[in-house]
Amino acid sequence: MLEFDALTRRYGPVVALDGLSFTVPPGQVFGFLGPNGAGKTTAMRAAFGLVALDSGSVRWKGAAITAAERRRFGYMPEERGLYPGMVVVDQIEYLARLHGVPATDARRAAMHWLERLGVAERAQSKVEALSLGNQQRAQLAASLVHEPELLILDEPLSGLDPVGIDAVGSVLAEQADAGRGVLFSSHQLDLVEDLCQSVAIIDHGRLVAGGSVEDITTSGRRRLVVKVEGDWTGAWARSVPGVSVSRVDGGAVRLVLDEGTDPQAVLAAAMTAGAVEQFGFERRRLSEVFREAVAQ
Amino acid sequence: MKYILIVVVAAAVVTRIAMRVRGRAPRADTGTGQGDDGATASPWAGLGAAVDRWGGDVGLVARREIRERVKGRTFRIATLVILLAVAAAVTIPVLTKGNQGTQHIGVVGTLSAPLRATVVATGAALDLKVNLVPEPSLDQAESELRTGKLVAVLDGTQRIVVNQAFAPTDTSNDAVLVRYFAAAISLQAGLEHAGIPPQRAAALAHPPPLPVQGLKPAQRNQTARTTAVYGLILTYILLTQYGTWILMGVIEEKSSRVIEVLLSTLRARQLLAGKVIGIGAVAMMQAALIVGVALGLGAAEGSTLLHGTAPLEVASSLLWVVLGYCFYCWVYAAGGSLADRQDQVQSLAFPLQLPILLGYITSFTALGSGGASTFVKVLAYLPPTAPFSMPVLVGLGQATWWEFLVSVALMLVAIVLVSRAAAAVYNRAILRTGGRVHLREVMAAHAA
Repeated sequence: MLEFDALTRRYGPVVALDGLSFTVPPGQVFGFLGPNGAGKTTAMRAAFGLVALDSGSVRWKGAAITAAERRRFGYMPEERGLYPGMVVVDQIEYLARLHGVPATDARRAAMHWLERLGVAERAQSKVEALSLGNQQRAQLAASLVHEPELLILDEPLSGLDPVGIDAVGSVLAEQADAGRGVLFSSHQLDLVEDLCQSVAIIDHGRLVAGGSVEDITTSGRRRLVVKVEGDWTGAWARSVPGVSVSRVDGGAVRLVLDEGTDPQAVLAAAMTAGAVEQFGFERRRLSEVFREAVAQ
Repeated sequence: MKYILIVVVAAAVVTRIAMRVRGRAPRADTGTGQGDDGATASPWAGLGAAVDRWGGDVGLVARREIRERVKGRTFRIATLVILLAVAAAVTIPVLTKGNQGTQHIGVVGTLSAPLRATVVATGAALDLKVNLVPEPSLDQAESELRTGKLVAVLDGTQRIVVNQAFAPTDTSNDAVLVRYFAAAISLQAGLEHAGIPPQRAAALAHPPPLPVQGLKPAQRNQTARTTAVYGLILTYILLTQYGTWILMGVIEEKSSRVIEVLLSTLRARQLLAGKVIGIGAVAMMQAALIVGVALGLGAAEGSTLLHGTAPLEVASSLLWVVLGYCFYCWVYAAGGSLADRQDQVQSLAFPLQLPILLGYITSFTALGSGGASTFVKVLAYLPPTAPFSMPVLVGLGQATWWEFLVSVALMLVAIVLVSRAAAAVYNRAILRTGGRVHLREVMAAHAA
């Protein structure tokens, strides 16, 4: 279990972290979300001691993180970095050795992960000769090669095509299933909704929402999607009491119901406006959770 | 001719070694698919595994530096070029000396024994060996002059014949030799003609020279100075080259951002120590190879490089290359951590090279003038310039052993202080990206 406890860090007038606290449980893919500049990278770097905190601490299994424990973490920094002129497999092997993998296993492990991530045929190439996508895969292999207990990946999906996102997603799920901690960050909130079980959403260095994806997308006021044939504006819904219109997309009206509003009353109002084509409850998108949390 | 052959053979050996090293790297790679079978078959596997465990994380970093650097084409070409230059520097003086070996002088008719002795002695005074060749006739002698077998022909004591007349301003060995002959033989033969017995004539023509007394003692032998010149050039080339390696290595890690991956598992000082040790090991291997080739070639060719007190200068120069590296590696590492992109190498390297240039140029001037000024003597105790100035003082015979040791002691203290300061700068600057970090900011961060 990785705990971020009241992290604070200022860079001159800029507040990067403002008392940020949350916990990453093992065995889950944990999404660390927020807009660009929210403080995600600073918090992740703090877990590796790469950032001097003004106050607060990052703890692993309830205690301060030691250098030996840190070696069993895997890290993929936001600004990717491998030696440009070094052969890919040599480089992954070298990083495995630095993480304490014995010499006899390091090269095998390096090849295993390059194969698993689909870049084995480029193993003998120099990093600079690889496409950006393949460099990203090699970087991911570097963070996984020592079978880390905790994986911390900063924006692992940025720059990937849908196939790449699926590949990374399946690796993350597999690591979590094996009981390891998996923390990854993203600024594309809705893109990662299906990938993670739990999230921490931050803004301006503070936690604005957190918990299991199931809970935070279904909690709060209920939401309906209603489409009435021939209606493109959703004007009918604006006169229904106890209901607010959140969005209208191609005639599908997304409604937020006040506490105590009866969905059947909304359905009746829709039917008076015309033939109802679609009627159903809807979960909130993570981006909506974020927007609502920030607006409060 | 045989010396050119030696240079060619030396170059071939070096190329061969370089190719073997290159050949080994891919072989190690292909071992992966088949587990470690390939490695265990090698008698070096045990040693390799032992070396592989040595030094922990710092050892891992150092070994990567060694491997990647030795594999690099730039390194091999640079080593080869330096080796060729050194071989040329050792061989060419020997070759040119070989050319001025024995001068063959034809003699038509007879010369008295004292005159013959005078001719040989004149050659010896010019550091030339003279061989007198009896010629049956002037015609025969002239044809041998034309083919270049003879330098000059003494036609009795009447005249001297040469193939091509010398211009009055000609100061070549042949011209000087012939002018000496002309004067000496004329004087001695004239005295003999005047009825003075040949032995007495020789004594009159060549009286013992007056003693020459200097106000200052003579300089030490030229060999020590020549060695100091080579040592100085080598120290300059090696220190700037190795410093630049460190600088570029640190900038590579920072600009490629691999530094963040490395520092997530290593401490900054481990990474820095591994880099300095690894590059230092390659540097010392290269320096040892260069000096070894120079000394080996020198011994094989009978160069004067090894004679007299020169070995002391060689040892002193080598010691100062090591000390200079230990000092400058930290300076260059700290400098590299301030950069943000590879293209900042030049702008960072220049200020770091200034003290090196100062030491190099002033020491060279001292060697050229044959004596060190007070300024150079002061520089010999300042750690940034001591690697250049102190060996030169040794070469000029202007440093006592305790002065040498004081300078070494000051250097050792400076190395400790500089390594600490450099580690502090490196620690604070290496993760700062988004533009060149200025030393002022790093110091301000320290004070805050």
